[in-house]
Amino acid sequence: MTTTTARERQVRDIGPGDHACLSFADDAEQRRVVTEYVATGVANAERVLYFADRQPPSAVLGWLEAAGVDTGEAVARGRLSVVTADDSYLATGRFDSGAMVDALRREARDSTAAGFDGLRVCGDMGWALRGIPGAEHLEEYERAVDAVFREERASAICQYDARLFTPDRLAALDGCHRSSVEQRPLHSGALLKLVPTIRSGRHGLRVVGTVDNRTHRHFNAALGTARGWPGDLVVDMSALTFIDVAGLRALADTATRLGAGRHLRIEHLALALCDVVRMVGWDRTPGLSLVPDGATT
Amino acid sequence: MSTLGLNHQGLVYDTDEQFLMTTVPFCRDGLDRDDAVLAVTTTANIDHLRDSLGGDADRIEFVDSAVWYDAPGRTLAAYHRYVTERSDRRIRIIGEPVWEGRDALEAAEWTRYESVINLAFADSAAWIVCPYDARVVPVAVVDDARRTHPDLVDGPVTEFSPAYVAPDLFDGGIRGSTESERDHEPVLRFTEDLAAVRRFVATVAASLGVSPERVGSLVMAVNEVASNALEHGGGSGRITLHRAGHRIVCDVTDDSPNATVDWFAGYLPPDPAQPRGHGLWVARQLTEFLQIHPTATGTTVRLHHRAA
Repeated sequence: MTTTTARERQVRDIGPGDHACLSFADDAEQRRVVTEYVATGVANAERVLYFADRQPPSAVLGWLEAAGVDTGEAVARGRLSVVTADDSYLATGRFDSGAMVDALRREARDSTAAGFDGLRVCGDMGWALRGIPGAEHLEEYERAVDAVFREERASAICQYDARLFTPDRLAALDGCHRSSVEQRPLHSGALLKLVPTIRSGRHGLRVVGTVDNRTHRHFNAALGTARGWPGDLVVDMSALTFIDVAGLRALADTATRLGAGRHLRIEHLALALCDVVRMVGWDRTPGLSLVPDGATT
Repeated sequence: MSTLGLNHQGLVYDTDEQFLMTTVPFCRDGLDRDDAVLAVTTTANIDHLRDSLGGDADRIEFVDSAVWYDAPGRTLAAYHRYVTERSDRRIRIIGEPVWEGRDALEAAEWTRYESVINLAFADSAAWIVCPYDARVVPVAVVDDARRTHPDLVDGPVTEFSPAYVAPDLFDGGIRGSTESERDHEPVLRFTEDLAAVRRFVATVAASLGVSPERVGSLVMAVNEVASNALEHGGGSGRITLHRAGHRIVCDVTDDSPNATVDWFAGYLPPDPAQPRGHGLWVARQLTEFLQIHPTATGTTVRLHHRAA
């Protein structure tokens, strides 16, 4: 397994000690992750701070209500706070990285002292694109704040909208976090799981398990969905157990159907399977590139 | 000689001079016409050709037969790739397979390979001369060369081979032992669960002494053959494996009686863009020999796979 794979964690597994990056490209995915993460925190008797941006606090509270969280009670008892970044840590009109790190550390300690089982922070970082002074230090902040979650009983999910941040910026910000939030699988079965990914700003698919006669239709359907995503696609094969010739053909076919100017990049494919791709001549498919397992990506 | 379509010629020689009398003008003529020229032959013949061709030898690609003639499926695919990558040029090939030291199975399968060349490259602008050194090649193999090559060439003389048999009429059955069940041989009946097939093949092959890397290629090849059995062969089948010398013999038998399947299926290069039909092409490259044998009860695909 590669380090890239190990970084991706399901939202239910993210808790004290974690500092995770959520790259999302649709509002439903943001809602799913936020709802599960915050609701779990409230249920676990952690204190939850939510910093909204593009979605107003009322919308976020609505998601939580719909998921069965009694937000009125949680807010009244100080277990949950949902405010906009603009109204809280950006209220001075600038972003002060050092002050923010200190504030979060204080909040974590206060939460524990007040009898909570730690602090849970979740924020939509879209404000960073609005030219707010200090926003240029965001990467520096993300690296520094990691220590808070390592040293205090606390965790965080920082949300970055892949539709707004450039691929390079997104990749850099993602790299400042210890883990990434795994997206909702397009398919999750006993034999095969297909997980959408956003890495280095590129959309992709992580293939976990087996692609054969019994799972072709799920694989083909997921590749069809992926074709609809913008830009180049990356297929991560590091958790692949087996793929047959028809599965490899589906990848070559997807590359062809992406059309001019778009690429399908297959990463971490076992060398023996790269050989099979070459045996048929699919390595010469326009738009298809193979990065064998063990090669630097 | 026509420049469209394939020329596939046998050259039976018993002196070095006789070899060079045909091959040197063949190369020179090709270079004059700006054809791509590939010479796959013995290291001794490569030296002879280099000596005779002088500076012209630099424009010819030489490959040692012992390296090139590895397994029929892989060799045919390598020629296919060579031709495909030069689709804008005419191609000339000297192709001298290795015949010394081949056992009966190997000789039969390399002979079939020579036969299928006539189909696989039928539409290629390729001219292939296959030399047979009568001093060392068994008589039976030389006789077969006359059955697998439409033309025989000797110096300036080219004539039709009267013994030539078209590939579709060529004997493609399994020669020698055809008994499919042996005492105590592990058998797996399968339907749609090919994961069970892969586990069975991996486990039995390992217990028969196959190296891990060779287990991987066998599993991949058998999976494709078993996929075909599910799709075209009645939806079920059975698999047996046993060891025969330095090879594993794996039979995949489907349940479709009296199937009409060509013995050379999987030897004809498929278009990468076609929607199906790449499995056997890959299987032939993953294993050493693959034989297809339809019977009254079902078709057996027999894979002969090097253990190490």
